Amino acid sequence: MATSVIETIPAHLKPFVPSPIPTTVQTYGTSIWGWITTTDHKKIGALYLFTALFFFLVGGIEAEIIRAQLGGPNRHLVSAETYNQIFTMHGTTMIFLAIMPLSAAFFNFIIPLQIGARDVAFPRLNAFSYWIYLLGGLFISIPILFGHGPNAGWFGYAPLTTKAYSPGINIDFWVVGLQILGISSLAAGFNFITTIINLRAPGMSLMRMPVFTWMAFIVQFMIVLAFPVVTIALFFLLLDRFFGTQFYEVASGGDPLLWQHLFWIFGHPEVYILVLPAFGLVSEVLPTFSKKPLFGYPVMIYSGILIGFLGFGVWAHHMFAVGMGPIADSVFGVTTMLIAIPTGVKIFNWIGTIAQGQFKATSASLFAIGLVSLFTIGGISGVMHSSPPADLQQTDSYFVVAHFHYVLFGGSIMGIFAGIYFYFPKMFGRMMDEKLGKTHFWLTFIAMNLTFFPMHFSGMLGMPRRIYTYDAGQGWEAFNQTSTWGAYLLFVASLFFMYNFFKSLRSGRPAGPNPWGAGTLEWTIPSPPPPYNFAVLPNVTSRYPLWEGKQADIESARINQQSGRSAEELGIVLPYNTIKPFLAAFFLVLMFSGLIVGHWLIFASAAAMVLAFYGWLTSPLEPEHH
Amino acid sequence: MIGYNRLRRFAPLGVAAVLALALAACAQSYPNSTFTPHSDLGRSIDFLWNRLMFFGTIVFVLVEGALIYVVIRYRRKSEDVTPPQTHGHVILEITWTLIPAAILAFIAVPTVRTIFETQAPAPANSLVINVYGHQWWWEFEYPEYKFTTANEIYIPKGRTVDLVLHAKDVIHSFWVPQLAGKRDAIPNHTNHIWFTPDSNMATTVWNGFCTEYCGDSHGEMHFRVVTVTPEQFASWVTRQQAPGFFGPPAAPPPTAIASASAAGAATTKSDSAAPAAASTAAPAAAPVAPVYGPTASPALLASYVLPHSEVPEYAIPHTPLPDAIKFDDKLTGDPAAGEKLFVGAGTCNACHSVSGNPLAVGTIGPNLTHVGSRITIAAGMYLNDKAHLSRWIKDARIMKSGVLMPTLGKGQYDPQTKATMPAGLSDQQIADLVAYLQALK
Repeated sequence: MATSVIETIPAHLKPFVPSPIPTTVQTYGTSIWGWITTTDHKKIGALYLFTALFFFLVGGIEAEIIRAQLGGPNRHLVSAETYNQIFTMHGTTMIFLAIMPLSAAFFNFIIPLQIGARDVAFPRLNAFSYWIYLLGGLFISIPILFGHGPNAGWFGYAPLTTKAYSPGINIDFWVVGLQILGISSLAAGFNFITTIINLRAPGMSLMRMPVFTWMAFIVQFMIVLAFPVVTIALFFLLLDRFFGTQFYEVASGGDPLLWQHLFWIFGHPEVYILVLPAFGLVSEVLPTFSKKPLFGYPVMIYSGILIGFLGFGVWAHHMFAVGMGPIADSVFGVTTMLIAIPTGVKIFNWIGTIAQGQFKATSASLFAIGLVSLFTIGGISGVMHSSPPADLQQTDSYFVVAHFHYVLFGGSIMGIFAGIYFYFPKMFGRMMDEKLGKTHFWLTFIAMNLTFFPMHFSGMLGMPRRIYTYDAGQGWEAFNQTSTWGAYLLFVASLFFMYNFFKSLRSGRPAGPNPWGAGTLEWTIPSPPPPYNFAVLPNVTSRYPLWEGKQADIESARINQQSGRSAEELGIVLPYNTIKPFLAAFFLVLMFSGLIVGHWLIFASAAAMVLAFYGWLTSPLEPEHH
Repeated sequence: MIGYNRLRRFAPLGVAAVLALALAACAQSYPNSTFTPHSDLGRSIDFLWNRLMFFGTIVFVLVEGALIYVVIRYRRKSEDVTPPQTHGHVILEITWTLIPAAILAFIAVPTVRTIFETQAPAPANSLVINVYGHQWWWEFEYPEYKFTTANEIYIPKGRTVDLVLHAKDVIHSFWVPQLAGKRDAIPNHTNHIWFTPDSNMATTVWNGFCTEYCGDSHGEMHFRVVTVTPEQFASWVTRQQAPGFFGPPAAPPPTAIASASAAGAATTKSDSAAPAAASTAAPAAAPVAPVYGPTASPALLASYVLPHSEVPEYAIPHTPLPDAIKFDDKLTGDPAAGEKLFVGAGTCNACHSVSGNPLAVGTIGPNLTHVGSRITIAAGMYLNDKAHLSRWIKDARIMKSGVLMPTLGKGQYDPQTKATMPAGLSDQQIADLVAYLQALK
């Protein structure tokens, strides 16, 4: 256990590092009031994790219904109307309510620990972001239970979403719900940017920052640049639907492509918002289990920045069939191809990290390998769509469905699972069951390929996307049957994860500060970390303080891993718990619901929200310093 | 390096495996395959696809091979070994930046060339077809020949067809996988896609699909493309240009024209078909351009329509009939009575046109002038036969989600208004309408 730590530590400090693994494990407490009023980034991270896993399950059930319907030709398990709501909510749930918040769980939990901070820059804003996410998520998810779920796809193309073609309240929930969720992402984005810029421990220059934090940093910039665009697009739609403006009304000469451009200027960066955090997690996992620093650290950072940058210049590759003309098609085709270069570089560097290392197969590292291998497939099919004429055969067919599931399941979800197995001991102080974890990996890996690989074929053999059923004799039956079996197996695999997760939460083996022998700052403190994280703020002299650290790194690590003392004893000031962020979020969501319920609710909740914000802004964050 | 050599040995195997799969995909059992293009555009795309597949396979094999190699070669055997703490390698980084860039150049150059070739204006002598996407059916207008049809187009082999795409409500997308890529039909926009179907292919039917999500019945917005010889096409055009005719086939031509007219008049049974009866003398005078009426000239009746016996299995819809709609299939209809209902109690003419009938000029629904000669109804969802057509007229909204076509059967439940129709057509009236529509060959 943690041999590399001992080897790189000066002889006189060896007795102190690593400390013995504790027999008892601290918890975050079970008081509901404590959870609602918390401003602790770790508890908020845990809230994000539980909520996002719940929504992941919801999106998964939606996926199972989709696959059950498509398992054979002309099945009418659900009607066309219901199917359309289900596929819309599957996409919306997985993107906005599962993958993004799962990443946010790691941002919350890991970033302050990796940079040696006691919390995020704005702890109450952080709580506010979470409550907006939860309430907004419920707002957009519940209508489907009553048959009024959003039904125009997660991309909501105008003019289908306008009142003229979607007169029901289904789209109202979607446009308002996404607007609410955007507030959560934007608030969190500004919070993390400020945190990373201002709260790094002494000595942690940007080029010493752990790669996960780096990728998270890039993602926050992408969020604050991309989300305002979709906010505007949604705001136009909201005005059209509720106040009779004509932004997208074709009868009044509106241009449907306005929505598409605005949506994809957000939508394509969104893809990288979904996948870069997973890249970051894998960049922590692979070095740890290869006992070797990340290969090409600066190149990994630059390629991440380049992906983020290029991600804003390729949006129209979602629109090669709309007839933008040869010049636009060529430009967007070539910029899309360019993005393959930094992405490829990342894959090669991960392989370079394992090469000449000491690779140990654990649940976390297997999922990381899963990401590298599956994302490669998604990347290759991505290059296939980057050629606009070739894309004319691929776009809006099941080939694209295969592609982005290799990117989002093979990339984001595999990376997130790697992150969960890797950071679970840090978050909850207990180890997950490795045997169950590896079973979960192999079942997921097999089932994932069984589900999504055949879609390459059904797509190229002519099967369009988003169809609620298909006719017999089109040559698609066998591929769809296989996909459906794969999806069922994927559900079985998830049961292994759920069982392991809850079992380990209760009775997993105590982990100790650094069960994996990792090298970054978050592993220098107890698991789970005390409310103040670091008893003394570390002085950072290298990228992997526990592996390559000098005297100063080792000294702070030695002190920080000793648990048991309270913040008061150490003289550390922590923010107060407060209900105000919850109240502000609650009334904000209520205010938005007024658009659907009645305008009186807008004004009543706006007044209550202003009061909540006033109370928030006029009350101190934390006790005065002594 | 051993690993590299080993991978090189595997690369051709991988390519072979993928080619084998691609070949398997060409088999007859894949009627909508993009791997077997039947047009110039299809082949241009296929050329790019093959190149993408070639490089993609190489990259796939090399990357996955390298990954498997390092994971096995550098697996941990002992917890006590600390590997060399390398941080990177500049030459390697430059290499694996430049090699993908070079591969992409091999893709980008033909890509851009193909974009400009395929998006140039269509050749001057192209057959222009105006395509209008509707929720959830397709309207096709042949401006050169001045007629309109729905959900089914005939195109002559060897002549470039220039599809001009429009949408009447939301965005749709036009896709015939075996002939061309997709092009969106967007309201307030005009789009083009053009291609030349191979002159050496068979006279057959291709399936087409809407590939932009467009609401409730997006999954049932199909169409059929029939590729025919230029002669068959010219013959088909004369039929499509002619006004509708709905009587039983005339007696053997040419001696029996008069008796055919008489037979046509006889079937109408009453003076309700006055305009039709008045036109019975016309076919003899102008064999290819009869006015609307029960019978057509023998020449017109002999004009080309793909025989149903030649429609391939994959172009025949298998959508099951909803159990909720009961219809007495034993009833026999009378076309003339049906014609009366079409512009009368059925109010079909509010939305549908039948060319030649001055009372049937509706443009909301598909043009029905020659609906009887089409393979399918409801945009490729159901076979165009009595069983399906009768139920479609009786309660289209149960047959297909969200359609504008109203529920017409008396006492039928309308799933959109969630009410039962107090008035409406009887089964006998529906049978008459079916007889009329089926007669409109």
